[in-house]
Amino acid sequence: MQVKIGIFLCDCGGSLRNIDFPKIRGNLEKLEGVAFVDISHNLCLEEGGKALASRILSEDINRVVIAACSPELCEHNFMRLLESLRLNPNFLSIANIREQCSWAHKEDVTGKALELLRMAINKARLLQPLERKEVPVNQEVLVVGGGFSGMESTLELSQLGLRATLVEKGSALGGKLSELEGFYGLGASPKEMLGSMTRAIEEGKNIEVLTSAEVTRVEGEVGNFTVRIRRGGEEFPRSFGAIIFATGYRAGILPRDFELRPSVNIISQRNLIEILQAPEKLERKPETIGFILDVSDESSRLATLLVLNNALAVKEKWGSEAYVFCRNLKVDSDGAEKLYREARATGIAFLKFEKKPQISEEDGRVKVEAKDVLLGEEISLSCDILVVEEKGLPPEGTEALSSILNIGLDSQGFYQNENVYLYPVDSGRKGIFLVGACRGDLDISRASMDVASAVMGVCELLASGKAIVEAEKVRVDPDKCRACLTCIRVCPHGAIRLVRVNTEKEVAQIYDLACEGCGICAAICPAKAIDFEGYTDEQILAEVEAIGE
Amino acid sequence: MGGNNKIVAFCCENSACAAADRAGKIRLYYPDNVRVIRVPCAGRVDVLHILKAFEKGADGVLVMGCQEEACRHLTGNTRARERVKYAEILLKESGIDGERVRMVNLAPEMAHKFAQEVSEMTERLKGLGPTPIKNGGPQR
Amino acid sequence: MNKHVLVIGGGTAGITAALGLADSGFRVYLIEKEAAIGGQVASFCCKATEVCTKCSVCLIPQKLSEVATHPRISILTNSTVMGVAGEVGNFQVEVWQKPQYIDSERCIACGLCAEVCPAEPQAICSPSPEAVPLSYILDESRCLRFKGEDCNLCYEKCPVNAIDLDRGAKRQELSVGAIIVATGFEVFDAREVGPLGYGRYPNVLTGLDLEKIFSHEGSLRLPSNGKEPQKVAFIQCVGSRNEEHCYCSQVCCKYAMRFAQLIKYQNPDAEVTIFYIDLQNAGKGFVDFYEGCKETVRFIRGVPVEILENPSGALEVRFENIVGGKIDRETFNLVVLSVGIVPRKDSWDLARVLGINLDDHGFFDARSPIDSNKTNVEGIFLAGACHGPKDIPDSIAHGISAAEKATEVLQRCKSR
Ligand SMILES: Cc1cc2nc3c(=O)[nH]c(=O)nc-3n(C[C@H](O)[C@H](O)[C@H](O)COP(=O)(O)OP(=O)(O)OC[C@H]3O[C@@H](n4cnc5c(N)ncnc54)[C@H](O)[C@@H]3O)c2cc1C
Ligand SMILES: Cc1cc2nc3c(=O)[nH]c(=O)nc-3n(C[C@H](O)[C@H](O)[C@H](O)COP(=O)(O)OP(=O)(O)OC[C@H]3O[C@@H](n4cnc5c(N)ncnc54)[C@H](O)[C@@H]3O)c2cc1C
Ligand code: SF4
Ligand code: SF4
Repeated sequence: MQVKIGIFLCDCGGSLRNIDFPKIRGNLEKLEGVAFVDISHNLCLEEGGKALASRILSEDINRVVIAACSPELCEHNFMRLLESLRLNPNFLSIANIREQCSWAHKEDVTGKALELLRMAINKARLLQPLERKEVPVNQEVLVVGGGFSGMESTLELSQLGLRATLVEKGSALGGKLSELEGFYGLGASPKEMLGSMTRAIEEGKNIEVLTSAEVTRVEGEVGNFTVRIRRGGEEFPRSFGAIIFATGYRAGILPRDFELRPSVNIISQRNLIEILQAPEKLERKPETIGFILDVSDESSRLATLLVLNNALAVKEKWGSEAYVFCRNLKVDSDGAEKLYREARATGIAFLKFEKKPQISEEDGRVKVEAKDVLLGEEISLSCDILVVEEKGLPPEGTEALSSILNIGLDSQGFYQNENVYLYPVDSGRKGIFLVGACRGDLDISRASMDVASAVMGVCELLASGKAIVEAEKVRVDPDKCRACLTCIRVCPHGAIRLVRVNTEKEVAQIYDLACEGCGICAAICPAKAIDFEGYTDEQILAEVEAIGE
Repeated sequence: MGGNNKIVAFCCENSACAAADRAGKIRLYYPDNVRVIRVPCAGRVDVLHILKAFEKGADGVLVMGCQEEACRHLTGNTRARERVKYAEILLKESGIDGERVRMVNLAPEMAHKFAQEVSEMTERLKGLGPTPIKNGGPQR
Repeated sequence: MNKHVLVIGGGTAGITAALGLADSGFRVYLIEKEAAIGGQVASFCCKATEVCTKCSVCLIPQKLSEVATHPRISILTNSTVMGVAGEVGNFQVEVWQKPQYIDSERCIACGLCAEVCPAEPQAICSPSPEAVPLSYILDESRCLRFKGEDCNLCYEKCPVNAIDLDRGAKRQELSVGAIIVATGFEVFDAREVGPLGYGRYPNVLTGLDLEKIFSHEGSLRLPSNGKEPQKVAFIQCVGSRNEEHCYCSQVCCKYAMRFAQLIKYQNPDAEVTIFYIDLQNAGKGFVDFYEGCKETVRFIRGVPVEILENPSGALEVRFENIVGGKIDRETFNLVVLSVGIVPRKDSWDLARVLGINLDDHGFFDARSPIDSNKTNVEGIFLAGACHGPKDIPDSIAHGISAAEKATEVLQRCKSR
């Protein structure tokens, strides 16, 4: 097909006065393959668009070059317009002569505008059509981890009519809900909550639960993952369209945080919750209870909320004296400041230290020595019980799973890279979501926000059962590919896989739906086997070429 | 325009392009010798593109991507940085000053940094004079 | 069932919710009170030093342009909701739009009108560079035509006929299946704390001022003399954690530390001090950042009680040095008040129109902490900082989460 270019110059209502439009027209008209050069005043408005459309149709051109404002503002509209004219939307090339030319310079910039247009024209000559294709997507969703986050995800998916399979490593569902005796903010005890969620899961439509099961392998991409699940002695493959990871975290007391190991007197929040639920286990009522935060590094908001709630409970139940030692009280969560004030009003003392306190055991009691910066005094407190925080740690196998999945971890070893584009629940790979405590230490209200975000993400991808992709926008030339795996290694979105084309040869293939179109693979491929339509080497170099002209 | 200070700026559409647009919107006048080539991610820019730009008559090249650790494609900007470094070495080998190519990290609203980088590169190029390629000197 | 959703408020949370819904097939009306969408964050700056400090501000521009070009989102700027009737699945909403003297759908931002406007100061102004939609704005109070003169110069000049100074307000009736409230917050007015001298001393600024200065100028200069500040103090919890605002604003410690690092990055000789009560330095990705801060920034646990300007323009900060247990004084070139998030004053009006509750602080009340999107009215959901202090990532999460809740309720209505 011979390239026939139509050029539309927009002078933005006549306001781009440092560009000589007739001169540019005169210059471009002579170029090979250019059918016409039009000057418009309002290309982005309806009337401008209509004029553009009728010119495209009457002149039967097949490449459109537009010089106008930033493509950020106008590209979408023009692409939609081309589509409505049954012209491939990829046959469009825009020169930004407003924001990056007329507005950016005081002097006459006709020369620069002309060069920007030459660049756009050079590129336009090489543009190839891109076909939009509908691909089917599997509407089943895998949820890994059966704690609160996993169960809630499963329930919400089922309510939205998607099939969910919940895989839990342990023999029963519940995660922390089943381990803990008391919970704040639930409006119910964890057991009750777990009970009602379990019932809902049993009754729910389109739900399958696999306990004592684990994911051993994940292959494929969004819309079509193949997952190997091990259960009992057997391992079997299953297909899913998306995966939600809700593997939670492991909580434990870090030995390095204390000189002393946990004992009858040094207990965790979890132990305290148990005692509060079953006080009969206690020989006598504790008179003085200490709580300590920020021992090794900064404590989380969750730990702070637990301390505040538990200190208040202790006060109410036993009337004990309660002391909280901390460096910085983390009140940056909903309701925390109020609790803090309430706690102080009931006589709970807060002691703030800069230097790590000394903790020792003495006559069956625990002694905490610290310099309180508020009073400026050395404090020595002898308490019946010292309650220490349990730190949230990534669950075992996180690293292994992250490498199976090809998704990143943060500096603490939790899922999800520290990159703002991923927050809240993205993993970098389309169709794989990370929710709840597996991506950091968080409480139930945040976990439920995560769940809703991930479920929404799944819906966007799978709800209609199909997805529209620009087929082969990025493609590997099978003849050039040497299967060196470089692209597979570097693709940040896990969108490339190796496929067998015949008995001898395996080549890389890009999965259109998972590809986010960054072009990293095209730049890195040592065999130059990857082409990125719109940004092929030839197209980029053609733009460069215009610069010297 | 003329002169020996033509700059090719490969700009990531997630950050640098927006910064350049913003510079225009707030009328931060900067030298008009820069030509922006829009790329989907700085990670798309190859050593080949940088070298060819010089061959085709550019006097300086800027590769402009997102802030470190804030790349929409996670690693695109760090890969771009590596490639710019490599291009620098190759350029030096063919007698072209490595200062003529530079990796810049930008957030979308950093219009000032965009304008400043272009101005600085322009000044640098003025100091360096024409490239050996333009002088008919050693070709790659 | 009605597949339309109304989103009130076009800030971070509102645009995120709108995009989530529109991407999954719903039609969205996005109602914004101001002339442009974007909310508070539209005027904020990137706080990266050599590396990104994860402030998340850069996520917004792209979302804004996605919203602006999305075929299933209709943006109504300068608009407010005046009445709501009906119930989930079928709400009737009355929307008032202020007179659109400049039609934002037609305005191409060419700026020719501003060139001819004879009013002093000009009545037609350019929009901020981030504005979406990018449309010129008319200030009625300056316009000669509104003063009874026969001026119509801008109208005659506009090349695309976007201007009509005689347009009236518009009333529209929309029917929607669900409503998302994302009206955000107000920034605490630091003038309320008299002894800190905000508004009286040129070199006392707020965190919000800093956002705008860095965003517009790219670097920080002293307002009084244009020099680079050498000694900067940040004062935390201005308007948060007190009797009246008995909550932590959740963003100020983080932005202050980011700004402190940014100032040090741009001028390594500057000394930066942060006065605080408790540093809120936990959270994903913040642990390492805080470690870095400790090396370059001086932290003082103390509450400044008063700031005095001495004749040379330097600011003497008198503070209760908690560690030392006495009142200390120290001078700085620049003091930044880390102002927090307070409920919008007009929240009450909207609460009445929608029939939803406010909490003790004056934010919209959610039914339970586990489901912080749901209000007391079925089909009306909350998103973002209108429900309580939230940073950008949390506002985004809350916004998507609201979209999901709306989807769910609409599906349920459908199957009924
Ligand atoms: C002592 C303590 C007290 C707490 N108190 C409160 C409170 O009062 N209020 C509050 O809001 N929050 C509280 N929390 C936090 C709360 O527990 C978490 O926010 C919440 O449980 C997170 O749920 P989750 O589903 O994400 O993780 P989890 O509850 O940890 O569940 C994860 C599940 O995934 C499973 N799993 C792990 N790896 C795999 C794998 N590879 N394959 C399959 N399954 C796997 C685990 O077996 C587990 O069942 C507390 C936490 C602790 C430690
Ligand atoms: C000084 C300061 C600095 C900050 N810095 C950071 C930072 O660096 N990083 C970070 O993550 N967070 C930061 N934040 C927090 C951030 O601003 C909020 O997280 C975010 O703006 C919340 O978004 P929102 O959509 O809920 O509200 P908003 O941004 O307030 O948006 C609400 C929108 O609703 C509109 N509206 C209000 N009422 C109505 C009505 N009745 N009808 C129609 N429309 C209405 C408003 O005009 C506005 O456009 C900062 C906050 C402050 C105060
Ligand atoms: S363009 Fe980017 S996302 Fe797509 S396959 Fe290549 S590296 Fe992966
Ligand atoms: S510091 Fe903020 S605006 Fe800048 S790149 Fe990082 S997240 Fe984006």
